[in-house]
Amino acid sequence: MYFDVNGKQVFATTGGKPFDNGKPAVIFLHGSGLDHTFWGLHSRFFAFRNYAVLVPDLPGHTHSDGPALTSIEAMADWLDDIVVALDARNVSLVAHSQGCLTALEFASRYPERVRTVSFVASGLATPVNKVLLDAAENDPEAAVAMMLGWGFGSAGQLHQGPIPGNSMVAGGRTVMRGNTPTALVTDLKACNAYGNGRQAAAKITCPVQVIVAGKDRMAPAKATAELIEHLNNPVVAVIAQSGHMLPQEAPDQCRSLLKTFIFSNNPAT
Amino acid sequence: MSRFLNFDTLSLHAGQTVDAEHGARATPIYQTTSYVFPDTDTASSIFNLERGGHAYSRITNPTVGVLEQRIAALEDGSAAVCTSSGMAATFCAITAILGQGDHIVASTQMYGGNISLMKNTLPRFGITTTFVDPTDIDGFRTAIQANTKLIYGELIGNPGLDILDLEAIAKIGADHHVPFMVDATFNTPYLCRCFDYGANMTIHSVTKWMGGHGAAIGGVVVDGGNFDWGATDKYPTITEPYAPFSGINLWEEFGPSAFATRIRAEAMRDIGPSMSPMNAFLLLQGIETLSLRMDRHLSNTMALLDYLSNHKQVSWVNHPSLPSHSSHDLARKYLPKGAGSIISFGVEGGREAGKAFIENVELASHLANVGDAKTLIIHPATTTHSRIDAAALSAAGITEDMVRLSVGLEDVADITADFDNGFRAARQLAKQ
Repeated sequence: MYFDVNGKQVFATTGGKPFDNGKPAVIFLHGSGLDHTFWGLHSRFFAFRNYAVLVPDLPGHTHSDGPALTSIEAMADWLDDIVVALDARNVSLVAHSQGCLTALEFASRYPERVRTVSFVASGLATPVNKVLLDAAENDPEAAVAMMLGWGFGSAGQLHQGPIPGNSMVAGGRTVMRGNTPTALVTDLKACNAYGNGRQAAAKITCPVQVIVAGKDRMAPAKATAELIEHLNNPVVAVIAQSGHMLPQEAPDQCRSLLKTFIFSNNPAT
Repeated sequence: MSRFLNFDTLSLHAGQTVDAEHGARATPIYQTTSYVFPDTDTASSIFNLERGGHAYSRITNPTVGVLEQRIAALEDGSAAVCTSSGMAATFCAITAILGQGDHIVASTQMYGGNISLMKNTLPRFGITTTFVDPTDIDGFRTAIQANTKLIYGELIGNPGLDILDLEAIAKIGADHHVPFMVDATFNTPYLCRCFDYGANMTIHSVTKWMGGHGAAIGGVVVDGGNFDWGATDKYPTITEPYAPFSGINLWEEFGPSAFATRIRAEAMRDIGPSMSPMNAFLLLQGIETLSLRMDRHLSNTMALLDYLSNHKQVSWVNHPSLPSHSSHDLARKYLPKGAGSIISFGVEGGREAGKAFIENVELASHLANVGDAKTLIIHPATTTHSRIDAAALSAAGITEDMVRLSVGLEDVADITADFDNGFRAARQLAKQ
């Protein structure tokens, strides 16, 4: 669906059911250069289990009006504008990679809005390799190749995948190509500049979950350990064989972990 | 693995997860109609497209799925759907987005089955086609109507071998928000990835070079994922709620694989032209050696072009690799490795001489197929294109004396020796 936020059109998929703010909300946040389709194997599941699901495209990504937002803090404020605009209540945030930084900021700034946060494949910060930043600025096709090359584990590189006939890598490349040249580089710069993760994590009081990709090359174990260390009593799970694009590479395991955590901490009637 | 894998590696590995229970290195043949669900929630999730998984082999099958993902990888497409034949793939792809009152602009130079589908069968469903000479780019533009929803062509035209100017046609499609579908059977992704030049979907008869062995019939539709279905309201089957799946909006939910998902959700479910697991297995064996075979097809083709071009009993030879061919420059642009392994030529003496040639070769098989490992010959005017009228025959570049040759992988000296026998018989006929 499309809706208006601050005079700009925002697109979000609602998982196949109309967004009903009388139900607890599950809001999914995508990572750098991606869009709502990243969460396709999770959003519909929750929408058909009595949750109000929202998977927005960040400004300047795929169907949402631009320009792309230049800081994680701005993304958190934009997310709050969405929550207010739709009067979304009892929000469970499910975030991947860059989305996790936004979730950290949002949950620490607007604790009254949030019931749970699930962090998938992230650290407290996301310092971006200079080579990747340069490529995103000057050679977007190379940057997309780097991100998908590092992002997907072997299952992705071998075009395996949970949906028969679908190639995760090729689908991701199509989405990311559509979001260059401006959105990807803006996202990466925002990630690189973000430095408030430690303070934000400490302020989050709602139940939190961290899902770790065992073969993550973009949010490696050390960075994830830092996140876990600074969150309050997180529920931690590791999916050993997955790369960074865990929600696509291991969707059944990821969905099962999200289901258990959200169903128990933010139940839908 | 931290980078994209190359073509030959993907030909061998893409799509396959090594069997966890037994460690089978080859892709197992899952010869089963259906699949046991672990619980009711999983079952309902699969039926509601909330998750991947298999329910019934008419719609998906693990062996077929490996083939689909392998072809998607080789084409650099976002998704692929295999079908029982190439014609089934074409029909399913067209009807996924077109219906009553819609219109296609298509090349005149296509496989006779494609022409017949568009000329005879689709009109019964209210879908009409305007055929355009593939070399007439302006003709494609002027043929576009308000109800045009598809541009269709073969990169290497059959059997005239004119090369479609992919970028020019794709631009016309983009200008009019009309997707461009290419039958890429003759080129395979090894010779040209059509999505790199703006095509939006490809069709293959994988029976041909992709399989290569002539042992299994099959087709595939590949979704390039690069068409913006939401930019126009012309494609409601993709962008509007689809009732059988709780009103799912495929464009919103599946984005770059929305078109392939429509084929899976509708054509495979409601019509059911599914590929058998056994055929998928056989076709996978062929694809493992695709580049090796194509290289040999191409080298044999060049040798035979030399042989035929210098043969006194050959009145003309047609192949885009020849500088005299009108599509030579386009062939160099789109098919730098080589312009396929189909040659057409005329035998001095016309129809009867051609008939004598075909009936007196022994190694080359006289049959209605192309892209086999074995060399094949046929007389198109009386066989593959016999169901189209004289005007369409002429438009397709087919003459009475034309012999179509699908160059195989045999030792080329044996092929030319075989042809010598055919030409000898044609010569003796002329003396009588």
